[in-house]
Amino acid sequence: MPSPTSYLLLNPSKPSSFRWLSAPAPRLHARRFHVSCDAPRGSSGRSGGGRREAIPAGASKAKKQIVFFDAAPPVSQEGGAAVEKAGGEKPTTKVGSGGNAALALLRRATKRTLAVLSNLPLAISEMFAIAALMALGTVIDQGEAPSYYFEKFPEDNPVFGFITWRWILTPGFDHMFSSPVFLGLLALLATSLMACTYTTQLPMVKVARRWSFTHSGERIRKQEFADSLPRASVQDLGVILMGAGYEVFTKGPSLYAFKGLAGRYAPIGVHLAMLFIMAGATLSATGSFKGSVDVPQGLNFVIGDVMKPRGVLSVAPDVFNTEVHVNRFYMEYYDSGEVSQFYSDLSLFNLDGKEVMRKTIKVNDPLRYGGITIYQTDWGFSALQVKKNGEGPFNLAMAPLKLNGDKKLFGTFLPLEDVDSSNPNVKGISMLARDLQSIVLYDQEGKFVGVRRPSSKLPIEINGNEILIEDAIGSTGLDLKTDPGVPIVYAGFGALMLTTCISYLSHSQIWALQDGSTVVVGGKTNRAKLEFSEEMNRLLDKVPELISADENVFDTKSTAT
Amino acid sequence: MLFATLEHILTHISFSTISIVITIHLITLLVRELRGLRDSSEKGMIATFFSITGFLVSRWVSSGHFPLSNLYESLIFLSWTLYILHTIPKIQNSKNDLSTITTPSTILTQGFATSGLLTEMHQSTILVPALQSQWLMMHVSMMLLSYATLLCGSLLSAALLIIRFRNSFDFFSLKKNVFLKTFFFSEIEYLYAKRSALKNTSFPVFPNYYKYQLTERLDSWSYRVISLGFTLLTVGILCGAVWANEAWGSYWNWDPKETWAFITWTIFAIYLHSRTNPNWKGTNSALVASIGFLIIWICYFGINLLGIGLHSYGSFTLPSK
Repeated sequence: MPSPTSYLLLNPSKPSSFRWLSAPAPRLHARRFHVSCDAPRGSSGRSGGGRREAIPAGASKAKKQIVFFDAAPPVSQEGGAAVEKAGGEKPTTKVGSGGNAALALLRRATKRTLAVLSNLPLAISEMFAIAALMALGTVIDQGEAPSYYFEKFPEDNPVFGFITWRWILTPGFDHMFSSPVFLGLLALLATSLMACTYTTQLPMVKVARRWSFTHSGERIRKQEFADSLPRASVQDLGVILMGAGYEVFTKGPSLYAFKGLAGRYAPIGVHLAMLFIMAGATLSATGSFKGSVDVPQGLNFVIGDVMKPRGVLSVAPDVFNTEVHVNRFYMEYYDSGEVSQFYSDLSLFNLDGKEVMRKTIKVNDPLRYGGITIYQTDWGFSALQVKKNGEGPFNLAMAPLKLNGDKKLFGTFLPLEDVDSSNPNVKGISMLARDLQSIVLYDQEGKFVGVRRPSSKLPIEINGNEILIEDAIGSTGLDLKTDPGVPIVYAGFGALMLTTCISYLSHSQIWALQDGSTVVVGGKTNRAKLEFSEEMNRLLDKVPELISADENVFDTKSTAT
Repeated sequence: MLFATLEHILTHISFSTISIVITIHLITLLVRELRGLRDSSEKGMIATFFSITGFLVSRWVSSGHFPLSNLYESLIFLSWTLYILHTIPKIQNSKNDLSTITTPSTILTQGFATSGLLTEMHQSTILVPALQSQWLMMHVSMMLLSYATLLCGSLLSAALLIIRFRNSFDFFSLKKNVFLKTFFFSEIEYLYAKRSALKNTSFPVFPNYYKYQLTERLDSWSYRVISLGFTLLTVGILCGAVWANEAWGSYWNWDPKETWAFITWTIFAIYLHSRTNPNWKGTNSALVASIGFLIIWICYFGINLLGIGLHSYGSFTLPSK
């Protein structure tokens, strides 16, 4: 087994790998994380953020990597973002000497805040905290009455020895996803996102955009991938790289090529898309209306009557005076008798009584009108039309009897004696139904008599009375909402999908220099490191070997001696 | 009836072939230089793939909807996805260590799916109204693809952790838990050592150097695989959100399953961010990915086991209800 020293030598990342667990030096990490944007800090700044992954042995010595952007004007001239990361306090003092001390102080404070917010360990701990709170939110039953928590987390017998209801109710963990702690953390994460995008990602783009040549073979050799091709021409290499999808630039003996620049930009898009989603969700939470209603078939309701505002920004649109009429509610069944789909045929009428829209909605197919969405979510049994001995029909209201489980059960009662206060124990026929298809009938003694379908028109004889079930009238359970946040959230969704996909691309850069008859090639990539070196080896194998006249002479000479 | 028989035959073929494949893997681990056996295990994987595909197709035809409506079907789909992951690098002809992760994973999911635990679920069921949507195919298949990919990636990370800290493990006390993992990982290590030895036969062999190279490779592979899985997970969650806005009335309901999918997403986002810091790359990010492995199982399985929330379709029905 290896000796400890050799292990450390060959495994340079090991000694520092546990530092974050004790985490005493967040600022240092922050600096390290701001990979390329701190390049212009000094002439010896690192460009790769100390990427030493692909350099196996002795990599710790190669920590200082080359900056290829030295020749170009420093990034710091282009905007404040890079300055504050790179230049430290210098620009601030300049402003201060300019006269306005208060403004300088403000600027300094802003920069300090930005630096703290864009700190990677902070962002990561925010994400961990949010994940933990969400997990907690699924463990603790949400939205119960306080008495529930008093009972479940009693003070005299705490869960795990210390968790009482105070731990749950004080920070609002009984409604985790709207508790100030959770929302505050989300807001903090949003500011971190913004700060990181501003101070880290945008400067990185400016650096990545600038393609640059190098005239130093030494620098190229220090890249993660480096090779030299004897007797080759940089032009041939350029053609081969172009064939492999690289953008190639040449100037004299130097070559610069890159591929997958979009992969470098995409993370910014991801952050912006996240911000979009968060903004949209905030708008949804503050500016929407919600309502749900249970309407028997054939009845109407006005949208505005059932809608309740959810937040401070909820403004009722004009279409709230629209009236909805349920033309028909019906269900379709599988052969096995289970419900396959619910349908509600709805008509919308405006104030003048004119029908503006008609649609049959079902689960997964809501109705949308003027910003209002109507969903099919529930159903009920409203009434039973019954004929007794040819009289009627009578409408018997059905009452939901919730016994246990998710299955519904409805029941009604047809009295066979006169109903008055002197006779409290009226006897009659009980009817029960699980759905609109079949009704189970029981006689005065409570004995089972039979099952009838409303569609069959087949009368049943109970205690000398002929009962005919004419029709079963269902009621539809509708959810209504207006949500001004949806377009923004959807825009964010689209952008997020696109940008995460693009983020999978790897930004590869290749530098080459003609050094006599030899071509020195070096390159690096930010994601697919193994694939990159494989691809490079494959491409470099394709570069033709040049046999020029003087080299032939040289060759014959050398063989001769 | 015809379809039921066909499905029955196909699941048994796939399960027996994959059992043979895993036996071959065990043998090649013990008896190291049997080239022919390794090739035949590849053939076995192909046979398994075709029978699982056949099973899914026959399910689709017989039930008339995409075969992802319950836990059983989704487990079969998961092992199918693991197979796809196994194949992709083979097509590109790039060598990697994924197959040592995917093959045992396939057998475990397949074995669990066909085991007696879920027998009452083997029959294809009717689709409840909420699931009757085109989004079912998009959302569920994306989620399962991403679970499979992330599971592979996080297993690679766990392998990295174990290889790096192998000496500090006391294998005798942890034998039961670690046995399975060590088996896969020593196999990877062996494979890699062999490959490198072939490459650089002229150089003296430093075991530590290989260990370093191996962990670097594992790190790089798990990063690529997890990035892919993260992309798929993002697409899957967003498809689900759009679907929820069509079916449930809101694009986000903080339903337990949704919440756990979001937790998974957050954990892997942390992984991807931790890699931007060169000091955390490797061990610490691998630790995060290994946490992610547990989180995926809670999300995929645990929530359905509890049967809470809106996502409780086609799972266990607890006897108390």
